Amino acid sequence: MTGFLASIGYGQWALHALILLPLIGIIPVLLVPVAAAKRVALVITVAEFVISLGLWWAWQPAAGMQLVTSLPWIPRLGVSYAVGLDGISLFMVLLSTGLMPLAVLSSYTYITKYERPYYALLLAQAVGMIGCFIATDLFLFYVFFELLLIPMYFLIGIWGGANRLYAAIKFFVYTMLGSLLMLVAILVMVWKVAAVTGQLSFSYATLLANAGAVGGAAPWLFAAFALAFAIKVPIFPLHTWLPDAHVEAPTAGSVLLASVLLKVGTYGFLRFAVPFFPSVALSPTVTALMVTLAVVGIIYGALVALVQPDFKKLVAYSSVSHLGFVMLGIWSGTVQGVQGALMVMISHGLSTGALFFLIGMMYERRHTRDIAAYGGIARVVPVFGILLTVVALSSIGLPGLNGFVGEFLVLLGSFGSHPGATTIATTGVIFAAAYLLWAIQRILFNRLDRPENEGMLDLNPRELVVLIPLVAGIVWLGLYPGPVLRRMEPSARQFVETTAAGHAAGAMAEAGQ
Amino acid sequence: MTSIDLATPGGVTLALLPEVVLSAWSLVVLLVVAWRHRTEADARLAGWLSFVGLVTAGAAQLWLWLIHATPAGLPQMVALDAFRFAGNAIILLMAAISVLLSLGYLERERMAVPEYYPLMLMATVGMMFLAGAEDLIVVFLGLEVMSIAVYVLAGFNRRSIFSAEAALKYFLIGAFASGFLLYGIALVYGATGTTNLTLIGATLASGAGPLMARLGLGLLLIGFAFKVAAVPFHMWAPDVYDGAPTPVTGLMATGVKAAGFVALTRVLVEAFPSMLSLWQPVIAILAIATMIVGNLVALSQRNIKRMLAYSSVAHAGYLLVAVWAGTRFAAGSVLLYLLAYGLTTVASFGILASLGQDGERTVGNDDIAGLGSRRPWTALALSICMLSLLGFPGTFGFIGKWYILQAAVSRQQMILPVILVLTSVISAGYYLPVVMAMYMKPGRAESVLAAGSRLGRFAGVAVAVSVAAVILFGVWPAPAIDGGLRSGGTLVEAPAPLAAQE
Repeated sequence: MTGFLASIGYGQWALHALILLPLIGIIPVLLVPVAAAKRVALVITVAEFVISLGLWWAWQPAAGMQLVTSLPWIPRLGVSYAVGLDGISLFMVLLSTGLMPLAVLSSYTYITKYERPYYALLLAQAVGMIGCFIATDLFLFYVFFELLLIPMYFLIGIWGGANRLYAAIKFFVYTMLGSLLMLVAILVMVWKVAAVTGQLSFSYATLLANAGAVGGAAPWLFAAFALAFAIKVPIFPLHTWLPDAHVEAPTAGSVLLASVLLKVGTYGFLRFAVPFFPSVALSPTVTALMVTLAVVGIIYGALVALVQPDFKKLVAYSSVSHLGFVMLGIWSGTVQGVQGALMVMISHGLSTGALFFLIGMMYERRHTRDIAAYGGIARVVPVFGILLTVVALSSIGLPGLNGFVGEFLVLLGSFGSHPGATTIATTGVIFAAAYLLWAIQRILFNRLDRPENEGMLDLNPRELVVLIPLVAGIVWLGLYPGPVLRRMEPSARQFVETTAAGHAAGAMAEAGQ
Repeated sequence: MTSIDLATPGGVTLALLPEVVLSAWSLVVLLVVAWRHRTEADARLAGWLSFVGLVTAGAAQLWLWLIHATPAGLPQMVALDAFRFAGNAIILLMAAISVLLSLGYLERERMAVPEYYPLMLMATVGMMFLAGAEDLIVVFLGLEVMSIAVYVLAGFNRRSIFSAEAALKYFLIGAFASGFLLYGIALVYGATGTTNLTLIGATLASGAGPLMARLGLGLLLIGFAFKVAAVPFHMWAPDVYDGAPTPVTGLMATGVKAAGFVALTRVLVEAFPSMLSLWQPVIAILAIATMIVGNLVALSQRNIKRMLAYSSVAHAGYLLVAVWAGTRFAAGSVLLYLLAYGLTTVASFGILASLGQDGERTVGNDDIAGLGSRRPWTALALSICMLSLLGFPGTFGFIGKWYILQAAVSRQQMILPVILVLTSVISAGYYLPVVMAMYMKPGRAESVLAAGSRLGRFAGVAVAVSVAAVILFGVWPAPAIDGGLRSGGTLVEAPAPLAAQE
């Protein structure tokens, strides 16, 4: 495989193709007849996924960026089109490209109006997502980070539920507030670094190597970066946009939002906020704050999920809970914890994505997401019942399925550094079992007491095609996570070691003064 | 580099070629109009003649720019540097687009009076003199030539009391502002014995300047603040922008504003660099107030034209942040932002003009509901404009804002950039509902758009080209940034901190 990839020069064009293919694909999707738009979009996203699969082999398990390219963009101001891939972004890219065809396929019957713009926006969303994960220039990253907003704004606002306008603008304004402050922080950092190096440069490597130049501004800059990403994650108490956006978005929108967009936030912490300013990020105060907020998020998200009558909202709040584990892992200071955080990011992408797909399928049949409107439908739709149970169990963290691996590693990795917080976080797993099992019981297993549920149709082949790959991923990651863990290990180790060293150096400097 | 001797009449004519061409041409058009002023065809003829004049003047301007004309010795009255050329180019571009928008608009609003076009040309000449002034007297002359023509244009719709109100208000406030400006000029002259900007700068170079000069600077700033509609001197702007015919509003919000800012930058940087510590805090306060008030008040506007009027006040605040920095970088960012904001705003007003009747005072967000499915291209163009005004990546507006932020950050300033971005978030609260109404709300049958109220092919082309430029420069900004930086460099010679890799 490696030889074949090398023979077609895969490493030179793969990352560019991943950005360009959906970008150019927007044009045919808008031009073909309405009925063909979804098929064209499917072909493009499948091709995209096939191209991205090669990364698994082309990328060698080692620390640092690979497949890097850098072309001048605005040379006078040190901006370049620079992309690269490391063990953190590799899986985020694969997750994004893998979900795109499923998102398109799941929309086949769900979307009935303005189909061409819908699929064009999905492709635009893919450009932003992949761009975010592979950009190694801060300006480029910022552009992609903002680009995430527009397609999702329209997806929610045009194809969303009853309260979609409110949800769309709330989503937009919240995220933009954080990202604009981050833009100022990026500029301040660039100019402070330029004062040392004598060169304006937005390059990630340059900024990382000279991050010490920011001096006393570091706490403010970290705060700006952290705010932008914390809103995106979202960390309690900045999460209030999330339930609205999730519930109002169309199925594919919810899936991409939960599975990929939230990960941009945690990815931002791993890639930018913490490595740039380790002396601030890992200082006792900030660590205590982040760990507390993570644990509060875990418990709060789970408790609120417990009482939701709307299944989609329940899953939305469960995201707040799961992302708390990611934050806990990032601040664990151990390789296991960071690997666990990455695993939770992937697992949550698969499980929650699958849950949102399943909710969309329920909704298409009965036009309600109210848990109380269902009951006993496992007898009517057995395949649906089995899949929902498997996915829910994976989300709970049942050993043998993917959710367990990540959460276990996070708890294991953080117990040494934050025993108290970790103990409380562990109860989050129990709460997760409570809210999901209870919901499943009420949907699938109670008495079949509503006549309108008796006529529900089971999953059709297209829907199975959407779900099977996700379930396969769930089982594979649960049983045999080795290859994935091995690939992320060097990057996780590098993250832990460099940030710890940076923190120690910062503490020494402070003590020296 | 071509050196032009400004002591000879030929040299002066050459240095002022664009202004000379346009002034002469405006008289020719006026003469033509004297005989042919009856039918709509006559108005069209005058419009096209004016367009040709603007293009010719633009070509002359470009030629001066390309040969890198520089003065032999000290420029006396009008500057001869790339900063003037770039400012003039922006003004001419905005005027040309406004003329194209006016062609169909005047006919639709039944005020196809051909005298409109010579007035527009004269206003443009005034703006160019203002933007290129190297002497406070020329600043005043340019300002008056521009203003008097624009007073008439603002009141051009004689059947609308709002247009009359706009003209009267603009005239009274404008006269008031001119008074301040003139008094300031007199005081500066009293303190330094000269009205030439460079000589004033040289005279004041030692020390903080006498009290008289400081007073003069303060009055000059007030005069300029009126003209560029900075808070708290902005009260006239919404009513005037709202009441004037829409293409005129477009020109006022872009060309007039551009001329004002180019002149303000030049005056501050050339004549008062030694009093930096005096004017910087004033500009900073003006900028903060303008950004906050402009954006907050725009939030509560119900009709789009008035919303755009307040948003143009907010954008003046962003520009003041760039003026505040006062570096080469900042001068470049003023130009770049004026171009980005100008293209977007003139296109927005063009689209708005194509949507409504009766001066578009009536077009609100409810009226454009469902535009996305009825007129998809118009809706797309207006959405791009709104996102560019919001400063969203991928549009020219973002590049402009980003550049201004850089200019402020490079001077170790944090408060102004932070307020700039926070108020930009507020602005999402009024730009996005426009997009939202077009795409996310069902249309109403009886909306004002039911009538076929398009403005004709040429207005459409002008808007399309502007919007395309907004996207093009948003994605590939390197040439615009280079041009801005180089032109700014001719104004501010001292290298900015880190001269941005010359």
